[in-house]
Amino acid sequence: MHSPSHKIQQQPDSPPVLTFDNVSFSWPGGTGLRNVSFTIHKGQFVLISGASGSGKSTLLRLVVRLEEPERGRILLNGTPLNTFFPPTLRTHIGFVQQQPIIISGSVRENLVFPFALHSRKNQPAPEDRVLLEWLDRLALSQVSLEASAQTLSIGQQQRLCFIRAVLTNPDVICLDEPTSSLDRESREAVEMAAEELIQQGISVLMVNHTSYHPTCPHMHLHVADSTVSVTP
Amino acid sequence: MTTFIPIEWPQLLIALGLVCISGAASLYYHLKLERDLFIGVIRTFAQLLAMGYLLNLLFGLNNAILVIAVYLVMTIASVQIVHGRVKEKQVAYFAPTTVAVMLSYSLITIVVTKVIIGADPWWSPQYFIPIGGMVAGNSMNALSLTLERFFSELRNKRDQVEMYLCYGATYKEATESIFRTALKAGMIPAINSMMSVGLVSLPGMMTGQILAGADPADAVRYQIVVMLMIVGSTAMASILVLHLVRKRCFTSAMTVVLNKYE
Repeated sequence: MHSPSHKIQQQPDSPPVLTFDNVSFSWPGGTGLRNVSFTIHKGQFVLISGASGSGKSTLLRLVVRLEEPERGRILLNGTPLNTFFPPTLRTHIGFVQQQPIIISGSVRENLVFPFALHSRKNQPAPEDRVLLEWLDRLALSQVSLEASAQTLSIGQQQRLCFIRAVLTNPDVICLDEPTSSLDRESREAVEMAAEELIQQGISVLMVNHTSYHPTCPHMHLHVADSTVSVTP
Repeated sequence: MTTFIPIEWPQLLIALGLVCISGAASLYYHLKLERDLFIGVIRTFAQLLAMGYLLNLLFGLNNAILVIAVYLVMTIASVQIVHGRVKEKQVAYFAPTTVAVMLSYSLITIVVTKVIIGADPWWSPQYFIPIGGMVAGNSMNALSLTLERFFSELRNKRDQVEMYLCYGATYKEATESIFRTALKAGMIPAINSMMSVGLVSLPGMMTGQILAGADPADAVRYQIVVMLMIVGSTAMASILVLHLVRKRCFTSAMTVVLNKYE
């Protein structure tokens, strides 16, 4: 399930995975999102764009229920998010924050700690072979699994966080500017890996405000003036 | 054995002169501590004299309800002081602190008076009030340290806690290391004081007993009990308060209530 694949194609008649149904949310300062509706299907790639502070990250935080909508509802596989036990919900969703968050410990510990959580007790931790394969794929082959993760550069940590989320094999993965601290080569490796996730049936929501154009078929959500415009 | 020399009012007034050193330092270095110093002196006189008269009264009446009532006032006052020191606005922690304080102080004080000292009755004011006061006073400092550290760590590590939550951690799993750090912060002073006692410091209770004419060997044994009970009560109060307060730092959706910056 973790092995990389290089074929890129989208499944056209796949079932809906994530639905925003007339969702509104506002921050205390007044900014937020208004009447947002869209549906994402299994294995669909979604690019989210918009200016800084427009609400792109808020959109992702709503998916993982770090924020709650004021109105409307969000459904995962047809079930409202607020009916899940939160830790169970979050085992279905991967979330890579904009700033890489690394725990003290080795690269291996950083990659496999989610599998020690109670909510994932039935999910076996990936073997070293799989970890090394992913490190190699994201231009981190020089990084040892025993190395202290806190000594890595920000760009390396960002890729580590991406791998960590992918390894948990979620239904949906939310990537908040996962390439913001990367050079061109590493950025392309992450973008390609993200696009290839759809082959495993993972739906990908990627916030990106660089001039990135996915090579796979994708949906485009543009966030501006508290609204989201959808380009299929 | 030395005889007990009582301190009279003129001697108290001479002792008051010692505070003038602090007052002079505050004035000379512009520390602006004069007001706090003045209020502190007044409160020291008023609170301790009131407690002296109250203890005299309690010893005379020997009434269980009165003893428990005084004890409750002391514990509630200690909760108020913790509340005043910690200054957290986003999480309501007064009720959990009260529960933690009531449970831990009462249990430890009763165990010490009834089981260890063997006072009869267990609420005997001569034992229950001073022992309860020492438990409350020391645990109060531990609770302040524990809560302050917990809130500040949770604020500073909010992103990391959110990251754990996003991977399916419960709020308990997400704050495991913060819980440990805060608990250690509360427990360490009492443990450290065991290292220096008798070498660097002679604790107040023991000194008080010796000054009052007690046999130093007896005073020392009491002091050992006091040191051990303080270590126990600070741990118990800190563990209880952390368990109760931690839950309140998260919403039902398991998101962090505290903002990153106050």
